[in-house]
Amino acid sequence: MKAVNALPAAVRPPGRVAAPSFADVVAEHLDAVYRYLVYLTGDRVAAEDLAAETFERAFRSWRRFDPRRGAPRTWLCRIAHSAAVDWFRAEARRQRREESYSRDDALLEESVFSEGLSPELDRALRRLTPAEREVVALRVLLELDGPSAARVLGISGTACSTRLSRALKRLEEEMSDVRS
Amino acid sequence: MSAADWSELDGYEALVSELRANPPVAPERLRARVLEGAPAPRRQRSRKRRLALVVVPAAVVLAVGAALVHGFVSTGSHERASSLAPTLHTNEHLLGPVKRAPGAASTTPEAASAHKGAVPGWNAATQAPSGKKYLLDQSAAVASGSNVYAPVTHGRAVAIPKNRLVHAVASLQVGVKSSNLSDKTNEASQIVGSFGGYAQSVRYQASRRGQGEAILALRVPVQNAQKAIAKLGGLGTLLSQQVSTQDLQAKLSQQNSGIGSLRRAIAVYENALQSTTLSATERVAIQIKLNNARHALARLRHARNGTLASGATADISLLLTTRNHAIVPAHHGGSTRIGRLLGSAAHFLALEGIIVLYAVIVLAPVLLLGGLAWWILRERRRRDERLLASA
Repeated sequence: MKAVNALPAAVRPPGRVAAPSFADVVAEHLDAVYRYLVYLTGDRVAAEDLAAETFERAFRSWRRFDPRRGAPRTWLCRIAHSAAVDWFRAEARRQRREESYSRDDALLEESVFSEGLSPELDRALRRLTPAEREVVALRVLLELDGPSAARVLGISGTACSTRLSRALKRLEEEMSDVRS
Repeated sequence: MSAADWSELDGYEALVSELRANPPVAPERLRARVLEGAPAPRRQRSRKRRLALVVVPAAVVLAVGAALVHGFVSTGSHERASSLAPTLHTNEHLLGPVKRAPGAASTTPEAASAHKGAVPGWNAATQAPSGKKYLLDQSAAVASGSNVYAPVTHGRAVAIPKNRLVHAVASLQVGVKSSNLSDKTNEASQIVGSFGGYAQSVRYQASRRGQGEAILALRVPVQNAQKAIAKLGGLGTLLSQQVSTQDLQAKLSQQNSGIGSLRRAIAVYENALQSTTLSATERVAIQIKLNNARHALARLRHARNGTLASGATADISLLLTTRNHAIVPAHHGGSTRIGRLLGSAAHFLALEGIIVLYAVIVLAPVLLLGGLAWWILRERRRRDERLLASA
């Protein structure tokens, strides 16, 4: 493995817009990608693995990445989305094979999304579908704008907007249910 | 982000603020895991690529430029040589520089005309007393832009020196009608026979319609070679003609001188052996020297006979063809300056290509082995990593 050899911004030649190093991108966006994957999968361990896989894929296609064509965060989220979709498929196959839903049971026992969240919100988030959690993660946590989020999801801006409003509405309903 | 984007979140402020206030944080082990595989900064990579993008075209431009300069220089010198000797179109690139003997055939039309037997327009050079080989080449004017030679003007035959011993070799290409090919082939043999020569070999190839060619290897006494060449050239349309002579006079003189010396030595040894004062050892030593001298004399006489035989006959290679043009070695490109320049440049580029190809061929096994070793090491490392990851 190569060592990180990022050139600090302070020593970059003045007047030259240097492309960010991969290490810079990792440092800046790792948390965002991880959050997105935690919300999408509802599984911290899987999110960790998928985040690592996302950055490995990004590493491989880093030479082709052109910052002028899109923000690094959007690019990384698209890679993460692709990795997560693969993971969901594999997981579905595994569950069908094993007919085991123990993971869901385990999820109920500990906080998945964040320790700081109220138990109601955490539980309500678990009840959402991955697609709903995904749009919440992109628009609320990562603060992506509508078009960028839609690009990551591979849907139109209107569909993204609709999905977000439904997800938030359902989240509130679920919270109400949990409270009651 | 536009205001419209955030309007979608209206009404869910409390929810949004709680979610944003408690985001999941990537654990440090994930950060370390990801950063371990981070590549070097993009700038270094792009600098290498930029360097390659500059170096490779520069090398190509340099190679093409060198070829063009070479072509320009070589055609420039060719032009100068042509201006000095407008009729000289010898195959110098094949036979090396042609030397001109003083008083022999000259390179200018005037001098060539002045020379006895020389034909104007012939690329002429002939033997020198030093015994070096020279070329008499009568080629037709080069048809512009092609290697097809037009029929040459008939003229008198090339002069082959008669006062010196020379070995003459001539090559003629004569165009004949397809209906006449066999007749002309027989006629060529008869012509040679009439001059006291003979056909060493005849190879005749023709189609049903008589199209084809006949290749004759002829030998004629050197004193008749000039006439025979002239007559053979008259069998049809003379397409090209090349005569080279090699002076054997110096060689013959040297051999005669050697024979004389050996004879004198043998006479001395024979006189010495008749002496009664010689000891047995001295007698044996002189006897050995005498035998050696006699052997050397025999060898030298044999060699002289060979020289004389070589100088006695001229070898004539005659090609009778039904084609109306002769294929000759290509000169540099076309007849124009630009054509020659491009031809020379292309030749130089081809040479560069050959050198590069040679280097690639030589280095390929080393590169291949190096690449293989690198790949094996990489695969081994990856396997180790996989093993560690799965453990």
